[in-house]
Amino acid sequence: MSPALESLARLALARARDAAPAWIERLREEAAVVAREQGLPSRRLEAWKGTSLAKLEALDFVRVGPGAEPARPDAQPARARATAETPDDAIELVFVDGRFEAFASRTTDLPEGVSVRSLAELLVSEPEALEGRLGTLAEPKGPSLVALQTSWLEDGAVVAIDRDVQLATPIRLRFLATADAADAPSAAFPRLLVVAGRGSQATLFQDFACEGDAPGLTNFVAELHIEAGARLEAIELQRETAPRVHVTQTHARLERDARLDSTVLSLGTGLVRSELSVALAEPGAETRMAGFFLGREDGHVDHYTTVDHAAPHCTSVEEYRGVLDDHSKGVFRGRVIVRPGAQKTDAKQSNPNLLLSDRATIDTKPQLEIYADDVKASHGSTIGQLDAEALFFLRARGIDEARARLMLTRAFAHSVVDGVGEAAIREELRERVDAALATTHGALDAEESV
Amino acid sequence: MSEEVLVSIRNLHATANGTPILKGIDLDLRAGEVHAVMGPNGSGKSTLSNVLVGKPGYEVTKGEILFRGKNLLEMEPEIRAREGVFLAFQYPVEIPGVANNYFLRTAVNAARAHRGLDPLDAMDFLSLLREKMKIVEMPDDMMKRAINEGFSGGEKKRNEILQMLLLEPDFCILDETDSGLDIDALRIVAGGVNRMRSPERAMLVITHYQRLLDYVVPDRVHVLSKGRIVRSGDKDLALELEEKGYGWIETGDAAGARS
Repeated sequence: MSPALESLARLALARARDAAPAWIERLREEAAVVAREQGLPSRRLEAWKGTSLAKLEALDFVRVGPGAEPARPDAQPARARATAETPDDAIELVFVDGRFEAFASRTTDLPEGVSVRSLAELLVSEPEALEGRLGTLAEPKGPSLVALQTSWLEDGAVVAIDRDVQLATPIRLRFLATADAADAPSAAFPRLLVVAGRGSQATLFQDFACEGDAPGLTNFVAELHIEAGARLEAIELQRETAPRVHVTQTHARLERDARLDSTVLSLGTGLVRSELSVALAEPGAETRMAGFFLGREDGHVDHYTTVDHAAPHCTSVEEYRGVLDDHSKGVFRGRVIVRPGAQKTDAKQSNPNLLLSDRATIDTKPQLEIYADDVKASHGSTIGQLDAEALFFLRARGIDEARARLMLTRAFAHSVVDGVGEAAIREELRERVDAALATTHGALDAEESV
Repeated sequence: MSEEVLVSIRNLHATANGTPILKGIDLDLRAGEVHAVMGPNGSGKSTLSNVLVGKPGYEVTKGEILFRGKNLLEMEPEIRAREGVFLAFQYPVEIPGVANNYFLRTAVNAARAHRGLDPLDAMDFLSLLREKMKIVEMPDDMMKRAINEGFSGGEKKRNEILQMLLLEPDFCILDETDSGLDIDALRIVAGGVNRMRSPERAMLVITHYQRLLDYVVPDRVHVLSKGRIVRSGDKDLALELEEKGYGWIETGDAAGARS
């Protein structure tokens, strides 16, 4: 076993037991067995060809979950800052190292039919609400870190929107990791379960950040049950910094005529493995999967996506855009599965990439597995530099080259962000993207010149 | 008319992607003058305009271009622009995701900074923009859209003229600005160009047809053929070309008629 798994197993033995029911305990134990047997995924596996977790394997974890408890809420500046940017009327849950922080969260005055709670609390008080939902979409098997995550199933967010409820206010989930050198390496295992009831509508914003520059791991699993006719907009922002490793695994299942609008942004600087798996399980289900990833310095960003067309008349439109700078590496895998009988499937996929440096690389591969015959499926990936004509046009109007490059790179990224339906979140994401791009090759000169 | 030579092109030889196109151009533009350059396709008209603004892919193999006595060929394209050289493109590029108004303000402030002026804030810029938009009859919503995205051919050309009005360059080059314009758009574009005529400025109007020259009357007309100016004259030369066609120039008798 690697030092990482060994140390995590040791920490698991030492942890306090909660009062979760037997079926939860069984789920954890079975997952722990799988995690131990499998080890961390290796590059020999097809799904992990582009990404090595060797860096993670070497970590000897000293803690899982939050560090020392704060004496009072404002004693922990990181926690206070996590909420400072949020509007007053927001619904917000804050997690520090995977643990729910009630004092920093705003979950009162929820509209009727909306429930937003901590998993730790539900595991004890109302575990029956989780049965048949928790652990059913993200199964603790296969070449992933889901089993390891499930063995630490303790806390996270549980969101339930009742039938036909239209929630106008977005639900914000802030996942903050503390990466203090004093008690590192540390790991966080937050979890998310969403049940969007029939005909409901909601927006969910997940923001992952870290404070400090010590090594560590965030291993996140989300399960999104989207019932018939429901619409869910899910936005995921990853901005943890090196040397932290961020692994996220989201599994969604859509029933008849349901819709998922997913936007995933990777703006951090560390090693990222982001898996998104969407099952279009019943006729008429529709998903739009948008992604933007930025690689900087020696960052490594791997997006592994799967759309499973399991029923006829379903639509998927996927576009992931990558910008890679310095000697970063990007990996994109887009699996599209069209099952037998999934006729009239409409599946579009594209992955345009911009390389800002000669040393940056992108490894992109669509993977179409089509077993039905009446299907529209298209895919395309491109790797390129900025449009030379556009660049010259801007320069010919007096805009210096560095700034012109930045303008074009921003435009490339904004097209992903502009698809976000929620205006306040869209603005926040635009600013985050601009701030991240301002640190790329040549952009710093641009800021000084105008 | 001022005597000051603003732009001086001397024995200019240039290649486009390695192919020799310009084979010795001599041309002086004085402040206040409008010169038209006419010629058949492939004569080197667009190469001349692209070389003037420093487009990559073109190489000057001999000769020089002086702008206010400074060596233009040593300047980066953005410096030429800030110094006051402007090309209205024949095929303006579409740039998705970059809003027109943001682009225009960035360009105007880059030029202002070059002249040691403070940048215009959003409000001041907006009133300047509104004033210039009226001249080219552009609706407000075109400013919020991405640069030229979804614009008609006429709208793109009007947007070029708008940029010229905002940047107030001293040397304006119009590359086939009249091509693809209906009569209304031509009138609007020509109106914008005439607003820019002043004793301090020089203009080089590159065109295949006489049409635009009915509205923007040139002081001098030059005929370009196979990379050389084969004939120069006053505005009547454009009319003569319209009547006789370029075949007349390309046959031998034009050489003897060089002025």
